[in-house]
Amino acid sequence: MFREGPATTASPGKASLDTRYGLLGALLIAPTVLVFCAVIVYPLISAIYLGLFSIYTPTMEGEWVGMDNYRRLLASGEFWRSLLNNVIWTVGTLALQVIFGILVALMLHRNLVFRAFARSLVLFPYFLSTVVAVLVWRWLFNDLYGVLNHLLMWAGIVDMPVDWLGTMPNAMVSLILVGAWKYFPFVVIAVLARLQSIPDELYEAASIDGAGAWGRFVDVTLPQLRDVLIVVVLLRTIWDFKEFDLIYLLTGGGPIIGTQTLPLMVYKEAFALNQMGGASAVAVLMMLIMLLFMILYLSRARD
Amino acid sequence: MNGLQNKGGMTRRRALQGALALSAGAAGLYPATGRPNTTLRWWSTQSSPEQLAAYRYQIAAFEAQHPGVQVLFEKTSDEGYPAQLAAAFAGGNVPNLVTHLPSFAVADYWNAGLLSPFDAVIDAVGAGRFFDGTNRVYELEPGVHAAAGIGNTAANMLWLRTDLMEKAGIERPPATWDELRAACARMQGRGVYGAQFPYAKNSATSLVIICFIHGAGGQVLSPELEVAIESPAAVNALEFYRSMREFCPPGATGYSWGESLGAFVSGAAATGLYAGRVLVNVSNRNPRLKEHITCVTFPTVSADVPAWTFNDYPSVFIPADAPDRELTRQFATWLYEGEGYIRQLHATPGHILPVLKTAAQDERYLDHELVRRYSGEIALMSTEAAAGHNLGWESPAHRINVKAGALINSGVLAEMVQRVVLNEERPRVVLADTARRIEAIMKA
Amino acid sequence: MSAPARKSRRYLFNLFAWTVVLVIAFPLLWMLLTSIKPQSELFLIPPALLPGEITFEHYRRLLTETPFLTYLKNSAWLAGGTTLVVIVIATLGAHSLVRFSYPGRERLATLVLFTYLLPSVVLVIPLYLLMAGLGLANTLTSLIIAYTTFALPYALWLLRSFMKAIPEDLESAALVDGASRMQAFVDVILPQAMPGIISTAMFTAILAWNEYLYALVLVNSDAARPLTTGVINMLVTSFNIEWSLLMAASVMMSVPLIVVFAFLQRYLTRGFSAGAIKG
Repeated sequence: MFREGPATTASPGKASLDTRYGLLGALLIAPTVLVFCAVIVYPLISAIYLGLFSIYTPTMEGEWVGMDNYRRLLASGEFWRSLLNNVIWTVGTLALQVIFGILVALMLHRNLVFRAFARSLVLFPYFLSTVVAVLVWRWLFNDLYGVLNHLLMWAGIVDMPVDWLGTMPNAMVSLILVGAWKYFPFVVIAVLARLQSIPDELYEAASIDGAGAWGRFVDVTLPQLRDVLIVVVLLRTIWDFKEFDLIYLLTGGGPIIGTQTLPLMVYKEAFALNQMGGASAVAVLMMLIMLLFMILYLSRARD
Repeated sequence: MNGLQNKGGMTRRRALQGALALSAGAAGLYPATGRPNTTLRWWSTQSSPEQLAAYRYQIAAFEAQHPGVQVLFEKTSDEGYPAQLAAAFAGGNVPNLVTHLPSFAVADYWNAGLLSPFDAVIDAVGAGRFFDGTNRVYELEPGVHAAAGIGNTAANMLWLRTDLMEKAGIERPPATWDELRAACARMQGRGVYGAQFPYAKNSATSLVIICFIHGAGGQVLSPELEVAIESPAAVNALEFYRSMREFCPPGATGYSWGESLGAFVSGAAATGLYAGRVLVNVSNRNPRLKEHITCVTFPTVSADVPAWTFNDYPSVFIPADAPDRELTRQFATWLYEGEGYIRQLHATPGHILPVLKTAAQDERYLDHELVRRYSGEIALMSTEAAAGHNLGWESPAHRINVKAGALINSGVLAEMVQRVVLNEERPRVVLADTARRIEAIMKA
Repeated sequence: MSAPARKSRRYLFNLFAWTVVLVIAFPLLWMLLTSIKPQSELFLIPPALLPGEITFEHYRRLLTETPFLTYLKNSAWLAGGTTLVVIVIATLGAHSLVRFSYPGRERLATLVLFTYLLPSVVLVIPLYLLMAGLGLANTLTSLIIAYTTFALPYALWLLRSFMKAIPEDLESAALVDGASRMQAFVDVILPQAMPGIISTAMFTAILAWNEYLYALVLVNSDAARPLTTGVINMLVTSFNIEWSLLMAASVMMSVPLIVVFAFLQRYLTRGFSAGAIKG
């Protein structure tokens, strides 16, 4: 860190070059830092600050209440129920995304007629707007004219249309399935990219050792995928945990608060109940939970 | 390698050129040329294609009279306006004029000091032209109106299919809940459901259950605005509402007004709870039902309990922070004038009912196919709506409840319905819990 | 294994794999089919799988009778504008984070990762107030600024890993040849990073094209409304739900993505293997 005197005198040009480079580096990062401060740090600090007030959203006026918002939240069943829902949704949809993602990636890695077209079709749900995905699924789920119910009735699996989104546990199951459908291609992309870079020699060596298809998968493929999966799971956990659009548009958190996750609770507090302070407090708690998760996960993954 | 780099260089240069072109384009994103000096922004929740056509007519005429003024119509929705207006108020970026919001929303905003008094417009239209008492629900301080009615709506009429009634051998419209349930049971079958009530987590469900509580002789709040929902009547209402679930489509747990209306208009439901829009939707989208629909006041638990009609008292108001207030008032006044107002009414005959005596008696208003064809229904809805109430004003004896908007938006009433109907919790327990939550909102 | 047995196994695998692919793609297929059915066929019970009659009426109505094209233009500006702003800032920033040393550099990189955690709902109101204060409420610019909140950390993170993968010697060689740091950046680093930049740009554009929440809260006028909120606001109302038009709109919202996707797919997957999955 500290440069000793003689070294500086020995190469005066290098020192000034270092300083100049440092300045240039700072200059290049400056726009990023500015934008971060303006659109992320400032709103973040105001969220923490607002959490200490009781504020009526339309006027944005209110009074200091200290930790009252937090006390109220932690004592309310609704916060804990939303957290539980959040965990159920995240774990459920993530598990399906990863399992299904790996399987489909393995499938698409093999020789398949029209493979490029098949890949495009599979990856497409990920790039689809959430709004579009939800609309399409709501139309599929429709009670009177939805094709899904009619297929199931035609196949004799059910004899009455199923209420996919309005009752529990159907609503949570539907949500998890639609989430998995929408986001598993992300896992496919990552795994597929990694599969393509596994050297064939590894498989050949395993074959020579007498490993079958399953053995090769367990001994060669899975260990090679480990690093990718660690990052994929981290990213998807964060994104799924804070998912708003999909849940809000598909079930709105209902029935009752059966599928209400923390982001929906923030929105409800802020705009339905017009309590900006409470909303900010939920958001801050949510952030703390995610931070805790990330620290634990990263320290575990490093081992 | 060299070739590759060259190629990369080309790509980069082209990318940079593209970027320059893009940013140059971005600078010219908002051309300053040819823009009028003043823009009035008008929000409404009522914006079916027919209504939009009527608004366009009124806007064009107003703009022709006021050169340099542009009126920008912007849609909002029944489920979406609370968040959108909250954001607009908080950011000081409010529309000039908001129409068709229910009276209880108006009271909420007025109470927070967000609206400007509307009396000047009422006087300009002519206070005497309004039906007596129409604007009573907006007089939130003695002598000061927060808004005015732009129409009346009888939202909970019972719509019936006369052909299906005949087929099922039902001779007269149901007048009590037991008769209604029996009628639904007899008409249900072969792809047709008996009814189409909303059981969802939304404001429509909250508003509908209030009708049933009153239909059982109960109330949500007492005239002095004490919480009064814990009553045998409310238990009765919830139990009846639960018993009707089996006659509604499975997806009714997700229904809002749109889906409920669609179920009746498409013929999937034999009865319907809705306002007058049924008429125009049937005639435009499913004309084969034209001859087979009628409406009556919604049944109550027994003949002893009078009908309670839900009128949301669609309003017009001007936010306090709206710019160009004088011009906005002129435009608000213009909305009530002559041919334009009648076109508004004709866009959805029977749904938005006239609040002006002059318009109701106007030959031009009466001379419309649907107004003539369904004159009996429209007359009934007009009488019912004029005597209608909502959570902001539950009965003539009630004080105006400025917290009604907050109560509806909080979703406590819809959650109450879902707990009883979907979770099969005991109404008494749920009501006690709901009463506590209402109490908290009333005090907040 | 005998040749016919292998052949039939291959055949079976293809059949199975394509069944899976078609099941995954079924919702998209159904969207397309619904959008070209006449409205009268929409409400058949039970629904018909194939349209009895093909109509483009819903597309015509969307394009001529609704503000769909305005929304489309807004969405295009949003995606383009956000991508441009984010890529320029993030490329410079990532270069700085990877190739320069100054105090606080590592902490900054961690902070970037931390901003990933921020739920959009937390930022939306303070951002709205900020925009209103700047006089930007209800403009596309406000949305572009808002979108950088989630796009910039993501882009920065992707680009940083791309740039880490570029060997240091390349830049050193250019410096020895007498190039300045910026010249070396433009002539050596940028071309090398181009696949990564393209891939990042695509992800940014897709994020901006698909965003819903900010658009819902920050913009309330048709003049600046993008497709996501515009389509719902226009077609899901308390008097009707226009399923035919919704499906036609969904198809048209997806077409630009399909086009981009078809042309740039290789960057997308390649970009991923190079960058996104390394910490």
